[in-house]
Formats: sequence, C-alpha cells, structure tokens
Amino acid sequence: MKANRTATPYLFLVPAMAVFGFAVLFPVIMTFAYSFTEWNGYGTMVFVGIDNYIKAANDVLFRDSFVHVLIYIAITIVLEVVVGLVLAGLVSVHRRGSLWFRVAIFTPVMLPMVVVAVLWAFVYNNDFGLLNAALQSLGLDSLQRVWLGDPATALLAVSVVSGWVYAGFYMTIFYAAFNQVPTEVIEAARLDGANEWQLFRRIKVPMIRNAITVALLLCITGGFQGFDLFYVMTNGGPYGATEIPTTYLVKSVFTFQNVGYGSAMAVVLTAVVVALGLVFTRVNREKPEDVRS
Amino acid sequence: MSLTERKAPSSQRASGSKHHAGRKTPLRIPDVLFTGALAVIAVVFFFPMLWMVFSSFKSNSAIFATPFALPTEIDFGRWVEAFEIGHIGQYALNSIIVTGTSVLGILLFGAAAAFAFSRYRFRGRNLLMGLLALGLLLPLQSYFIAQSTMFTQLAITDTRWALIIPYTAMGLPLAVYLLKVYLDAVPNELFEAARIDGASDLRVFGSIALPLLRPGLATVAIFSALSSWNEFLLALLYIQDDALKTIPTGLLAFSSRYVTDYGLLFSALSIVTLPMIVIYIVFNKQIVEGITAGSVK
Repeated sequence: MKANRTATPYLFLVPAMAVFGFAVLFPVIMTFAYSFTEWNGYGTMVFVGIDNYIKAANDVLFRDSFVHVLIYIAITIVLEVVVGLVLAGLVSVHRRGSLWFRVAIFTPVMLPMVVVAVLWAFVYNNDFGLLNAALQSLGLDSLQRVWLGDPATALLAVSVVSGWVYAGFYMTIFYAAFNQVPTEVIEAARLDGANEWQLFRRIKVPMIRNAITVALLLCITGGFQGFDLFYVMTNGGPYGATEIPTTYLVKSVFTFQNVGYGSAMAVVLTAVVVALGLVFTRVNREKPEDVRS
Repeated sequence: MSLTERKAPSSQRASGSKHHAGRKTPLRIPDVLFTGALAVIAVVFFFPMLWMVFSSFKSNSAIFATPFALPTEIDFGRWVEAFEIGHIGQYALNSIIVTGTSVLGILLFGAAAAFAFSRYRFRGRNLLMGLLALGLLLPLQSYFIAQSTMFTQLAITDTRWALIIPYTAMGLPLAVYLLKVYLDAVPNELFEAARIDGASDLRVFGSIALPLLRPGLATVAIFSALSSWNEFLLALLYIQDDALKTIPTGLLAFSSRYVTDYGLLFSALSIVTLPMIVIYIVFNKQIVEGITAGSVK
C-alpha cells in the first residue's frame, strides 16, 4: 500500500515522459553525438572530433546563412513587432469598435505556412502576379521586378510575407497588454493634456515593456527557426540569396547525406536559440511576475 | 470583406458610446476617418486572399489578362476538379487523423503529467520538470536529424506515427506547463476531501482534476491542433507516400504537379483556406486566446 503510493506520481508521468524522451530528448542527445562524426546516415560512422565545428566556422555558406537570417529577423521585427505595436495602439484608442479589424488582421495566422507561401509566390509571380500588376496599374512599371528571382529583392520579399502573417499576431498580444494598463493612468494623462500619440509613446508603450520583450523573443527565436516560407518560395535561391541555416542544414543532411556536418550546424543553431531564450527569460524574471513555481 | 462592411457601422456606435460615458455624442468625423483608415488597412491585408478566391473562378488567360477583375462567373467546377484530382479529401483526412490523435495524446498525457507535478512531491520531480521546461526552449532543429535516422531505422517513416509521435512530444511541454498552472490554483481541500471519501488516485484525477481542467484543456487543444495541422518540416521529411500526406505537404506536391494550371491551384488553395477562415470567424475569441496564451507563456 505504501509502496503503491510512492509509485503513483511516476505512473502518471510515464506516458508523457516516454513520448517526450523518445521523440525529443533522446534525439537531442544523438544529434549532439552525430555532430562529432562523419556519417552518411547508413554506412560506418567515423569519429572526427570537432572537425565539423571547425568546418562550420570556415564555411562561407553557413556564415552567409546566418547573415541572411539576421537580416530576415531585423526586417520581421519591424514588419511584425513594430507594425503590430502601432496597429494595437491604433485600435486601442477605440477599444470596443475594433473587433472586426482585429479578427481580420489575425486571419493569416490561421493558415498553413505552405498555403501562404504558395499564395505569395503567385503574388510575386512575374507573369500574372498581383504585385507587378498593381505597380503597372499605378504607372510604376519601372519598379516591377522578378521579386523572388532577383537576389537583391528575394530576401525582402520573403520577409514581407512573414510580416503579413504575424503583424496581426503581435497586434493581438499588444492589444491585450494595452487593455491591462489601468484606465486611471490614461485618464490622468489625458487630463494633463496628453494627446493620443503622447499617450501611446510615453504611457502605454513603456507600460507594456514586458509584452514587448516577450514579442521580441518570439520574433527572434522564431526567425532563427524559419523554414517553411523559404523552402517553398525560394529554397535558398536565387544564387543562395535566401539560404538560411535551416534550409542549408536540411540540404546538407537530406540531399548530400552529411549527417555529421548537418548535426554540427544544428547544434550551433540550437545553442543560439536556447541562449537567447535563457537571456530573455532572465530579463523577464527580474520582474515580480512568477515565471515558474 | 462582407464581415468588415457589415460590422463597421455597429462598431462605430459602440465605440462612440463607450468613449464618453456621460454625454451622447453623434458620429464624429474623426471616428469615421479612423474606421475608414482601419477598413483600408484590412482590405489591403485581405486582398491576397480575395485575389486567390477570385482567381480560382478564372481561366488561365483571364488570370493573366485581368488580374484585378471580378470573375465573370462563379463556377465551383474547378473546385470540385481540384478537390478530386488533388486528392485534397485524402490529405484532409490524413491531417484530421494525425492532428486528432496528437491532440488527444497531448491532452491526456499532458494532464496526467501536470497532475503528478502539481499534486505530488516525489524524488526526481525537479529534474523531470526541468527536462520538460527545456522542451519549451529547444527548437525543432535540435532533434529532427537524429529523429529522422531513428524513425528510418525503426521503420516508422511513411506511417502516420512518424507525425503523431513527434507532434505529441512537441506539444507536451507547453501543455504540462499550462495545465500545471491551472491545477496549482485548485484548493488542496478539494482533492483531500475526495481522498478521505476513499477515492483512488486515478479517480481523483479522472473525476476531479480533469473536469476542473476543462478551460485549460480547451486552450491546449486549440494551439496544439493548429500547430499540428500546419506543421510542415517533419511532414516533408518523414512522409513520401502520397496517400499519407497531410494538407501542407500534399498541397505542395499538388502545386508541383500542376505548376501551370493556375486556376486549379487557386481553387486548391481556396479549398484548404476557406474552412479555416470559417472556423476562425466562428470561434475567433477562443482561438485568439488559445494561440496567444500558447506562445506567450
């Protein structure tokens, strides 16, 4: 009876821990182990020490993929977080009347990224795409481009799609945060003669700093993990202009069978994402808010 | 679109009355301009989706010649065609099976684990909670390479389990974390009372904890369902058999088979998009709460 009681919590944990251990924890350890080997996925595995990491450090393509993803993250911070903040500021001026707008702008979040990517590949299409057609009808023919086929514009073009999807998502987060700002604070500022812009800039935004930190974390770590849009719209092209770490390591592993090298790149990417996550968690934990019991 | 047009006037009134509780203000010009500006933003935002639906009713030549024009006729023939030759029904069925099973697993296993962490003190508790918390930070990239070789060796690839197992595993950390927060808030007396009445642990879990968790389970179900439904990378790597593909990979396969039949592709895109939008409009409050709670926590 007594022994039975001590076993109880473990019995409740078995299913979850078994699935999580099998499909996540064990492969994490194995990926780390693979990163010290040279292996094609089925033949003999050769231990090579830190050679793969040295190779990664000297790999121009890998370095470029980080540059691309950083540019992508920078653009998406503006298009998603900043635009989301501004939209949330706009709709929070007239709280009640904006439901239809918030519903509308959030819609793309619902769609599979693949659907979004195929649709936007059409928007950017050179022959019948919406974008070039719109430019033409505005008399801006000179701005027409092969958006996804031109190394100068491809990365920006993909980033814009991400912005289209997630601006509404961040708007929703910020809108909820703005609603937490005490009305007395806002009323007091209004009485002092603050206009809506000052209210936004000086009161509301500083008061939702926590939400903004979380949003930045999501946007940055999510950006490092980007894949779907890139794979479907450009698959790293043209001429490697949109190659990001994940598309590059997927090619290394699944096209060129460099499991060891791909794993090393995956470990580097994981280290970056986890480190950022920990830094942001610490920053947020300085606030009284209890993160984890 | 019709949504925005229909709701705009009533929302206008609502905002006006809310704004100045005391005096009754008539429609003010700035309010009209404001709503107008929002409407313009919403239309620009929605335009790609409208264009998609319009184009699905057009021939290739019309798509090229008059991209902005309304379709001359609404003919769902192409939708039916896309649905049939695109195997969209099969892909949707696969998505439903994979998502449904994963969500069920996440809810059941996640609730049981949250129950153990919340209600018991036992050796290894902090370690196990720490491992799950790590799962909140770990990106897919940290495990999918070894996972794929493992699934190949175990001959799990090209079965639905190749998606169900990882989707369940990926959803668990957040589920356990959120559900534990719910359970922690439940007063202990509730559980103690049941125990004194002689209820077994399993009964306490099943007839007290689970019902109390219902709102939390709904939130978890929403965001895990959406992320399973939309997941692409693992589906791309693990499923080659067309008969087992889910909507994202199936649609991609379809779009590479019929690269130049744009009307057909727009129809397929519309078919998979519109049900999502309908579901979203009906359940928008719960969905928005579910997704934001899921990613912010």
